[in-house]
Amino acid sequence: MTIGTQGWHADSALLSSYLAGALDAVVGASVEQHVSRCDTCRAAVGHLLEPRLVERTWASIREVVEHPSLPFVVRLARRCGLREPTAVLLAGAASLRGAWLVGAFLSLSFATLAAYASGGTALAPFLLVAPLAPVLGVAAAYGPRQDPLEALVATAPYGRTRLILLRTIGVLVSMLPVTVLLGLALPGPPWLAAAWLGPALALVPVLLAIAAFVGPRTAATVVSLAWSGVVLGSTRGFGPTWPVEAAQQGVYVLLALAACTVIAVRARADRQPGVAL
Amino acid sequence: MSVGASTVELTGVSKRYGRTRALGDVDLAFDRGVTGLLGPNGAGKTTLLRIVATSIAADSGEVRLLGRDPHRSHADVTAVRRELGYLPQELGYPSDMTAFGFLEYVAVLKEWNDRQARSQAVRRALDAVGLADQATVRVSRLSGGQRRRVGLAQALLGDPRLVVLDEPTTGLDPAQRADLRRTLSARGHRSTVLLSTHQTEDVAALCERVVVLAGGTVRFDGAVTDLVATAVGQVWLADEPGEDALVSWRTGTGRHHVVGGRPVGADPAQPTLEDAYLLMLGPDAHRVPASS
Repeated sequence: MTIGTQGWHADSALLSSYLAGALDAVVGASVEQHVSRCDTCRAAVGHLLEPRLVERTWASIREVVEHPSLPFVVRLARRCGLREPTAVLLAGAASLRGAWLVGAFLSLSFATLAAYASGGTALAPFLLVAPLAPVLGVAAAYGPRQDPLEALVATAPYGRTRLILLRTIGVLVSMLPVTVLLGLALPGPPWLAAAWLGPALALVPVLLAIAAFVGPRTAATVVSLAWSGVVLGSTRGFGPTWPVEAAQQGVYVLLALAACTVIAVRARADRQPGVAL
Repeated sequence: MSVGASTVELTGVSKRYGRTRALGDVDLAFDRGVTGLLGPNGAGKTTLLRIVATSIAADSGEVRLLGRDPHRSHADVTAVRRELGYLPQELGYPSDMTAFGFLEYVAVLKEWNDRQARSQAVRRALDAVGLADQATVRVSRLSGGQRRRVGLAQALLGDPRLVVLDEPTTGLDPAQRADLRRTLSARGHRSTVLLSTHQTEDVAALCERVVVLAGGTVRFDGAVTDLVATAVGQVWLADEPGEDALVSWRTGTGRHHVVGGRPVGADPAQPTLEDAYLLMLGPDAHRVPASS
């Protein structure tokens, strides 16, 4: 350091070492303290800094401060290679937020526990909840009440159908693995762990197809009541696995195909003005 | 876009909601500049703007936006939407998003996929509405006027060629409205800006052209000065409210501002756009749209 007329100043060699990170912890902290209080040395640091380095640092500070933190599921998906714009859109879906997911997993866990405790005679809670959890998640992921930006989504080039399908996939991908794992804990035949997937994967397109006409809330109510009727009805006179047995799975496949056809026809008109949920 | 075509061309456009006629056989064309839509509640302003914003379809008539027919194909309506900025009358704001996050979300919906370019566009838009220092504040913590400006910022994202604003001045204080006027007048030099409002002074201060709608039809379409000129000789300052007046009120000076029939001993007054608008509509200015 040199002594100037107004006190101590760091010379350029010392400042260069400081900027290069070549000083030890004590000297580095000392220089940092001095620079923060000394206008002359701060100005000297400014001259020594690479403009591109400053820009890069400033950009990364902006990045941290301005960009919203993504939900855990979406951050995970980003690490798995999800594109950044897609992650931003998924982050806007309420049902991909932590609170919603935790609620869904808790419901599934209790249903699994109930089935386990009954020794396999009470599968109804699990078969009721497992297919409906993704259905309700999808319903909560779009629509005028769920998405405050609906008015903008309807006039955006991205397209409403594309956004809804993207969020649907997001909800399914975030929920299915855990539900499958919980299904493995169910007492009974091993195929039961995945058998609920049939109605789940059928009810989601059925929900979307109905929602295209009456909105997601009404559609979710209709689908939930219908599925509850099937599961609860099967407890009277049918076996506990009846709702997910092979014959019924065939019906679900047909239902899914019919719903997908309705969605496809509807989606063709999606970007045309005048089409609204 | 063909040579000579207007940015927005509406020919014989009609729209009904059940038995209520929202628009009836409207012919309008808009080019670069700021146009204000005036009219009482239910006049058809929002319906007209929603048709131009590709949010709803007209029942009949021809709509051409930026030289394209948005009904023709997905490619056409998508191309229009890429050049469109739209502020709906009622816009919900996700409570957990920051102003920056909200605009970034809208920018992705507008297919701005490059993060750096998107961030710059978002900052420019926030700066344009005077909210650069509120970028990291949650939308739920902003005041009503600031939220409205965030809404305006999303409509201005990416310098769209067609800007459709449904009551952008709602909830803004006088200083904010002055800022908005400055922002929009600058935008009007390079874009087609359509805005609806109930504030005649905003139209007088900002718009080169005004369209007055009532009952779903166009009552006036022309320069603001031309509309004001229609009221010359019909506005008075008097000691008593005129019996034959269309409308009158006591001003702060104690005299009565009278629009319409001349009271005895009245002095002529300089008409405002509001006077001309009230005279243009007559009793319709207060009428709720009737089913037809």
